[in-house]
Amino acid sequence: MSGVLATQADAHRPSDVLNTLKRLGFGAVVSVPDGWLGKILVRIEHEPTMRLVRATHEEEALAIACGIRLGGIRTALLVQNAGVLSMGAGMVSLAQRYQFPLLMLVSYRGTPDDPVFYHVPKGRATEPVLRGIGLNYTVVDRHRPIGPQVEHAATYAEEASCPFALLLSREDIQW
Amino acid sequence: MVSAAITRPTRADYYRALADNLPPQALVVTSLGNASYLWAKLHEAPENFYFEDAMGLALPLALGLSIAQPSRPVIVVEGDGALLMHMGALVTVGAVNPANLTVLIIQNGVHAASGGQALTNAGLDLAQLARASGIASSENIEKPQALADKLRAGTARNGAECLVLATEPDLDVVRPPVALNPVVTKQRFQTAIGAPRYVHALFGGGKLEGG
Repeated sequence: MSGVLATQADAHRPSDVLNTLKRLGFGAVVSVPDGWLGKILVRIEHEPTMRLVRATHEEEALAIACGIRLGGIRTALLVQNAGVLSMGAGMVSLAQRYQFPLLMLVSYRGTPDDPVFYHVPKGRATEPVLRGIGLNYTVVDRHRPIGPQVEHAATYAEEASCPFALLLSREDIQW
Repeated sequence: MVSAAITRPTRADYYRALADNLPPQALVVTSLGNASYLWAKLHEAPENFYFEDAMGLALPLALGLSIAQPSRPVIVVEGDGALLMHMGALVTVGAVNPANLTVLIIQNGVHAASGGQALTNAGLDLAQLARASGIASSENIEKPQALADKLRAGTARNGAECLVLATEPDLDVVRPPVALNPVVTKQRFQTAIGAPRYVHALFGGGKLEGG
């Protein structure tokens, strides 16, 4: 392995995600947790410049995020891909229809790397559904630093005035 | 002898009370259908955020807005059907409990925006439900004057308020005075409140500035 790749592999990617959100001025995170997201949410909760809102359902979380962004605070949504599947109506009729720029950091469960078997149906459906509802997304490249990928996703959301989903693997987001 | 039917006040009755007693600097979020159309007819303003569809999401959006704009009163008009669709949002409001948020629930017992279909349960005590969800200041209201008194009193609160308005269904679709274009609604709202805007930087690193 080259020196560069070794350095990247050693980086603590969840820390880079959080630091990037702080550097870009994200003042709020709205979330419904899963096993991968739980610990980074606790970190966010203790950040003095960030507000964490814990919602009961991902479609509700999406609407809360739209409201915070409407009020002028840069906002990220941290949810599992199950939540992206269940927030479809709100996504198309609120977030996309009103052109809310939202960064969505999504734990991508049910891929071959995910040892929890019952996530497989969601993993299989995720990308076809995202394409079907026209939600812009990309899957994180685990061989490249995570910080710039978060920044590019956030920039895309703002420049295109739409939600943008970054699909994350466990090592990207589980603290 | 003709006995007068006892009817509940209309949405328009409550809306007139709201328009006449709107707190200074208030931001108003209205649910889909006549909740938005009638409010636009009676009190069109850039500080209104009209829902076009997205049933059940006016309340959580208003919660987010109240978090981002803590110094301004935020009033949301949600329907009982919409509330039942996303009842969890009531729990989240109770947990966050922003003192600048007033939740008005139009309890007309039907899905009015889609033609008056029956609700799953039209007889719930929604104020009790709101209290159980953590919104201590919750009350069932039966008269527009009671709503006016509540709004005028402007009593300082420690948390959110939920007022459930017993309302006669209004199934005739109101024609709004202006086209309610969603993106225009959003952009003029953000301009009206002076929300920070995104200033881009070449190759990333843009941030929200101003406001």
